[in-house]
Amino acid sequence: MIKFLPLVVRNVARNKIRSLFTCLSIAVSLFLVVMLYSFLTVQDEMTVASRVYNRLIVMNVQGLAGNVPIAYVDRIRKLDGVRSATSFSWFGGKYRDEKIVFGQFGVDPQSVADVYEDYVVPPDQLQAFQADRTGCVVGALLAKNKGWSIGDKVPLKGDIYPVNLELTVRGIYDGSSSIDREMLWFHFDYLDESLKAARSTMAGNAGIVVLRAKSAEAMNRLTEDIELAFASSDAPVKALTEKQFQAEFMSYMGDVRAFIRYTSIAIVIALLCVAANTMAMALRERTREIALFKAIGFSQANVLSLFLGEAVVIGALGGVVGCLGAKLLFATVDFSKMLPGLGWLYVPWSTALAGVALAASIGLVSGVVPAWRAAHLSVLEGLRKVV
Amino acid sequence: MSEHADAVVALLNVSKEFMRDKIRIPVLSNTTLHIPRGDFVAVMGPSGSGKSTLLNLCAGLDRPTTGEVIVNGQNLGDLSEAGLSRWRSENLGFIFQSYNLMPVLTAQENVELPLLLTPLRRAERRKHAAAALAIVGLEDRADHYPRQLSGGQEQRVAIARALANDPVLLLADEPTGNLDAASAQDVLDLLVQLNDHYGTTIIMVTHDPKAARRAKRLLHLEKGDFVQADIDALEAAR
Repeated sequence: MIKFLPLVVRNVARNKIRSLFTCLSIAVSLFLVVMLYSFLTVQDEMTVASRVYNRLIVMNVQGLAGNVPIAYVDRIRKLDGVRSATSFSWFGGKYRDEKIVFGQFGVDPQSVADVYEDYVVPPDQLQAFQADRTGCVVGALLAKNKGWSIGDKVPLKGDIYPVNLELTVRGIYDGSSSIDREMLWFHFDYLDESLKAARSTMAGNAGIVVLRAKSAEAMNRLTEDIELAFASSDAPVKALTEKQFQAEFMSYMGDVRAFIRYTSIAIVIALLCVAANTMAMALRERTREIALFKAIGFSQANVLSLFLGEAVVIGALGGVVGCLGAKLLFATVDFSKMLPGLGWLYVPWSTALAGVALAASIGLVSGVVPAWRAAHLSVLEGLRKVV
Repeated sequence: MSEHADAVVALLNVSKEFMRDKIRIPVLSNTTLHIPRGDFVAVMGPSGSGKSTLLNLCAGLDRPTTGEVIVNGQNLGDLSEAGLSRWRSENLGFIFQSYNLMPVLTAQENVELPLLLTPLRRAERRKHAAAALAIVGLEDRADHYPRQLSGGQEQRVAIARALANDPVLLLADEPTGNLDAASAQDVLDLLVQLNDHYGTTIIMVTHDPKAARRAKRLLHLEKGDFVQADIDALEAAR
């Protein structure tokens, strides 16, 4: 069949405008699908990558809206098998006039670097952060996006909380692409004291507690121990792995995974129709040629291969442009300004290549009916158009 | 030895009927025909007389209602559709009135087309195609696309394509129908040359008595039967 390839390629290039637009429609759609799936894949990869750090998230059984008293942090630290633990309190303040809020968390400056060992803060910057009650550490992508450097002031206007924070950048953390590099960490105590000064009833809430277990084996037992330890308190909690927490967090936005899947399926079905229509048009225009092929000895299988080959080449070309284009684009362009909060997003090779395979499959499936009709075209009917 | 044992084409009591809106239309009726190896037969007759049907039956593109079609010793009725495709690729050359060259392929690549179905390697295919183009006198146009050739040259490329797999039988359906007089003459000269020099058996359907004159033999079809015809009278009638 490989000897038919030059013929297939020539036929694809025959109607350049039509092939170009078909390829482009596949490319643009697959770009979108690959981006959506990368959102899921990268989150999964981040979770998998973080598994080695044996982190557990402790949150109120009622969910993120429920309180976790700050006193729990110390109690959790003392449990057997816990290496370190920090509060992780979402502030959600507005930075200047920006409408989209980035992740700002009140943490324990002494523990956070150990809990998040994969989030690398230079030692001198970590010390400076620990020493400054109004200091903060920001992710490298966030710093780049906002144009911040060490010593810059970051005013945050409280939205959920009735207080404002005046922070100073004391450190910038970085790490692999599998970590979230768009967060801001500040001293929990600074927030808590500000709330107390404002006589707010919201003081004393750790939000969630993130702990690092001494070993993976200890995690199951710790989950049970923690839940048991606070079961009869005013604020019972549950302990989740990062994967479970991510799933729970996503569920607040509805079933994002299902939404992405159904959207992708709709895109694929629409593409199938477009590509099948293109192939059907090609078939109608080339009835004479198909008759000729069959008259000079091409079998049904040969004709089927030729048409399916064309459909696959068009699909794969669209896939290469769309999926590898997405890969290249996310690798070279900084989207943190255009997609605030999604600066961590990139297109993994596995997703890009799966996208190309999907595009080729779309081509294949879209070509089945036209190719079958071409293969079963009556030679005499076709030849009547010939002679 | 029987007559049909020597024949490249043997039609034995062949009848062919078509159904049009539940009406049975007989095209060939109990026809027997033997075409010996090396013959050059012109088939003439009015429209609907069964010329194209005869050609289609010889090519295995259609099956007779009754009777047998034997080409080069092969009873075509014994072959499946896939078997017929393979048989055509190995035994048959086809020349059409409208050339039917692939516009996206060069002359050389068009000639190579039937060779894609053979086990020949690319270099061998190119060699065969070049030889076929040389026979039709177009070796210097090998890299030209059909749009860069005249009608006569296109038909010569189509003849080269028909020759590429060294067929035992060449079927030509109005090969000069779309050509001017000079180009038609060139194409007929070429067919005569192929028949004389290479002994290629040719069946040519034509409406043109001048073209028919170049054949060794004339078969005239009238309502599905072969009848005696005077070519001078046919020419005068035109």
